[in-house]
Amino acid sequence: MTLFHKVLLGFVGLAAMLPLIGVPQYWLYTLTIGLYYAMLASSWSLLVGYVGRISFAQAAMSGLGAYVSVLTGMYLDLPVIPSLLLGVAAAGVLGLFIGWLTLRLHGAYLGLTTIAFGEILRITVTAEHQLTQGSRGLQVRPLIEGAGPATYYYIFLAAAVASVLLMLLLLRSRIGLFFQAIREDEDGTASLGVNVTLWKSLAFGCSTAFAGLAGGLYAHFVQLITPSMMSMQEMGYVLAMAVIGGFSNVVYAAFGGVLLQILLEALRELGEWRLAVFGIIAILMLRFAPNGVFGWLENLLKRKG
Amino acid sequence: MTLVAIAEQAANGLIISTFYALIALGIALIFGVLKIVNFAHGEFYMLGGYSCYLAVTLLGLPPIFGVVFAVVILMAVGVLVEQTLIKPIHTGKVDRPDEYAIMITFALAIMLLNLANSVFGPWPQSPAPVSRGIVEFGELIIPGDRLSAAGIGILLIVGLLLILRYTWAGKAVRAVSQDRAAAETFGINISRVSMLSFGAGAALAGAAGALIGPVFNVVPAMGAVPAIKAYIVVVLGGLGSIPGAIVGALILGQVEVFATILIPDTNRALAYKDAYGLVVLILVLLVRPQGLFGKPERRA
Repeated sequence: MTLFHKVLLGFVGLAAMLPLIGVPQYWLYTLTIGLYYAMLASSWSLLVGYVGRISFAQAAMSGLGAYVSVLTGMYLDLPVIPSLLLGVAAAGVLGLFIGWLTLRLHGAYLGLTTIAFGEILRITVTAEHQLTQGSRGLQVRPLIEGAGPATYYYIFLAAAVASVLLMLLLLRSRIGLFFQAIREDEDGTASLGVNVTLWKSLAFGCSTAFAGLAGGLYAHFVQLITPSMMSMQEMGYVLAMAVIGGFSNVVYAAFGGVLLQILLEALRELGEWRLAVFGIIAILMLRFAPNGVFGWLENLLKRKG
Repeated sequence: MTLVAIAEQAANGLIISTFYALIALGIALIFGVLKIVNFAHGEFYMLGGYSCYLAVTLLGLPPIFGVVFAVVILMAVGVLVEQTLIKPIHTGKVDRPDEYAIMITFALAIMLLNLANSVFGPWPQSPAPVSRGIVEFGELIIPGDRLSAAGIGILLIVGLLLILRYTWAGKAVRAVSQDRAAAETFGINISRVSMLSFGAGAALAGAAGALIGPVFNVVPAMGAVPAIKAYIVVVLGGLGSIPGAIVGALILGQVEVFATILIPDTNRALAYKDAYGLVVLILVLLVRPQGLFGKPERRA
């Protein structure tokens, strides 16, 4: 464990103390939303950063997890946890299917296909308004009756940390090596006897399952969901968060999500300008520091230490 | 459905096709030369709408100058973007060029969208159209603003095709799209052709935005839907293929106006209107990724 990893771990420890030292509820709420984006951004970086497969359907998958969780709860009278798991399963299975379907596609072709899938999901949710209330939004029961912001904050912190740890475990295993080998040279990997078809599909499924979990939790936290959570604009925020944090590392992408959400709230008086500025920063990062803020910091510390 | 209603739908489809073709031709031109899909194309189109608004509503120029203004501004924006963000891909300055190209143009789209939101606000603007009133062909009635916009669009498309066919610059663009290395051997300045085609592609999107801005409204989010339509069109026709973009636009325009009839519930039919093309997009990419007119590649 390098110095930088200890610093990041320190931040997680600090995050766990926040409700105890009397941080205002408003900021706990903001941080909880930030942790939702952390899960989403790191799930996206699992696919893009490690397997080299681009997807623009991640926000839509989060929405799918949310809507499946809420609708199964409403119409099948399931308790919260099983309906949440159904949402994760739905997002995971659809991701697996899309991953399998798009095996032959690369680069921009894959980007366009995933945009199409994401938009079809969003349009369907909007169009089936008898079921989903369309763009008017759907009221959602809370995760836990009568829980306060601190409880939600801890649940989201635990879920985000657990998600990232699971991803890291996966990436440290042989499977993670397969993922990265596919990113570097797909044909070469296949020639060494790795089942590229299986791992490419599975990577897609894992990534979307994590997105589905994030979306399901988010729905039961904000208690009102609309199809706009599946839009390409939302996908753009997730991309900016992962890129600014560092999309080649799930931990950095997660920190990017929290960092951007904090900045988004702290700079509220700038209005819409802050989003334009984040766009500019994301562009500059991609061009000059593709490892993101945290990747850059790590390099800086490594050189000093 | 009466014959007049069918003719009216078909005419609407044709008008819409013109705009799809204008936007799609820009994407095809850029893909042909630079081998990248510009995910910020919808935002170029939106900037075209705002350029028209600036020229017509704020500066008080006649509406036709709104289109000229949009073409000039977007040409400049395109050249600037190509020089700063796209050129490094082809000079080997970025690590993963494929992913970089996709992500940088997507990030550019988000940046431009929010920039427009900040500068102009989210309110819809409606600059004056080139012509007003209605045009009657027998029983067929078509709004004049749409017809004139589509007419100018067709002129622009014909102009582009003539330039590509007969001028030296057009031949250079076609040569680079067909074989980059061979074109370079024959003395074509690749980086100048790249700059030119990205600028021209952006200008086409800008022209489309300036033409449609007065018909519908100019808002920051106006680019998303037409851009996705244009991606469908170019994929259907074959990425990088100029005739493919035109044929694809004609097909999509007709599919959209007539496919709405398939679902009896009008509310849902309208809501699903945008989904038909997306299904077409996925099917084409899975079954025939080179589209109707494209060259098959070993790896799509």
